[in-house]
Amino acid sequence: MNKRPIIIFLLLMAAIIVFVIYKDLISKRPENRSVNPYEYDVVKYKSVDSAMVRYKEAQVISLNTRAPRGLAYANRKLYIASDSLLQVITVDGKEVNRAKLPASPSCITVTDQSIFIGFNDFIAAFDLNGKMTGRWKPLGKKTLITSLAVKDNLLFAADAGSRKVHRYSTDGKYLGVFDGKSAKDSKHGFIIPSPYFDVAFNHDGELWIANTGKRALEQYYDNGTFRTFWSNDEVGIEGFWGCCNPAHFTFLPDGSFVTSEKNNVRIKVYKPSGALDCVVAPSEKFPNEELAPALATTPEGDIYALDFQKKEIRLFQHK
Amino acid sequence: MADDKKLNRRDFIQNSMRTTLGIAVVGLGGLSMLRSKGENWVWQIDPFKCTWCGRCATSCVMTPSAVKCVNAYDLCGYCDLCTGYFKNGVKDLNTGAENLVCPTSAIVRKFIEEPYFQFDIVEKLCIGCGKCVKGCTQFGNGSFILQIRHDRCKNCNECAIARMCPSDAIKRVPANTPYMIKSDFIRK
Repeated sequence: MNKRPIIIFLLLMAAIIVFVIYKDLISKRPENRSVNPYEYDVVKYKSVDSAMVRYKEAQVISLNTRAPRGLAYANRKLYIASDSLLQVITVDGKEVNRAKLPASPSCITVTDQSIFIGFNDFIAAFDLNGKMTGRWKPLGKKTLITSLAVKDNLLFAADAGSRKVHRYSTDGKYLGVFDGKSAKDSKHGFIIPSPYFDVAFNHDGELWIANTGKRALEQYYDNGTFRTFWSNDEVGIEGFWGCCNPAHFTFLPDGSFVTSEKNNVRIKVYKPSGALDCVVAPSEKFPNEELAPALATTPEGDIYALDFQKKEIRLFQHK
Repeated sequence: MADDKKLNRRDFIQNSMRTTLGIAVVGLGGLSMLRSKGENWVWQIDPFKCTWCGRCATSCVMTPSAVKCVNAYDLCGYCDLCTGYFKNGVKDLNTGAENLVCPTSAIVRKFIEEPYFQFDIVEKLCIGCGKCVKGCTQFGNGSFILQIRHDRCKNCNECAIARMCPSDAIKRVPANTPYMIKSDFIRK
């Protein structure tokens, strides 16, 4: 019997085995790498006790848009400012209105009668059908409007570019500006290291502003006078850490704060006193995201989060 | 006489082959010249792909590594609590070594005005470990990035850190634009 073919076959197999072992040895599999002497473990700061998570994700609404920018809830509808569009959708995710905007928006707020949309350096008012009723005078080249809040006939616009809050009447009359200094000789007011600067009224009509560089939520009188604040510099779940947090916030009907943070993305509820109440969505709900979701709440206490990177609106409801 | 000048088939084929050969030689020569005058390529780290694994510090053929931290000042928040400078969870924002992320104290914290600080990298001390980059990107604006510095990179044919990079963040870029600073280009 001719053994040559068998020998050739066995040699060939041996060569293949040697090649596979060699490739495996030099492969970049994590197990093949030596221990990293410079490892900086940040994962431990992202873990959350599951007992603290008291909300569940109940619904996801995918948005047919390229770049969502802002979210508001009013009149049992969701209002989304995106691309150069205003979209109005029902809570079931059905689009009921769509209107073209004069520029790319940066934020939105809605009342019972009007929609106000912030663009980079100006604000425009719309009726609830999306028809523009007023385009207000631009504020200047340094302006970057990131948030709007309305109470009665007053509108406050947070301007991250100049680190100031502008005050308007809802018919567009400019009433003034303040920079967050607690006293005239204060060395600084609002510290805004990146374009995250949120402003909102709670259900008692109190004006709250996120001083993100100080990781603080500050309360002001309507005339811009500083009143009080709370903050918690804490890398764990209890507080805010890093640059520019809380990036977005809003209020639940009981006056609790709902906050969202960037980079280590998570959504939490704080009691009106500033103590952590519970977690809405831990970091694991945002495995690949780094942008803080915009927030909106309903009178029933549901929380809508606009996930900018997935282009989705995610509904969180109490368990 | 007219018949003598008439091109026969053999001459036609020979002429065609000579012409084709001529075009090929001239074309190849031109192409070689163009390539020799074309741009050179160097290795660089794509900061949007980098996962700050620390391999740049240990895998580069240079000691210390040719990879250094770079602060993209356009993006920097000049924060008092810089998460690329201070370890997570520090209580006092002072420059005590126990508070710092950098294992070689290669970051200088310079007061600008209340409450802003500038953070400069001392390249002589930086070993390219990426700890500060991870801290800045995970909790801050992400202005710290790792870059291969071409005043010391040997531009090896097969870059040792590119071979070890788990996220394939190291690639060839034209030598006339050798750096990939985050503020100059956006995530693709």
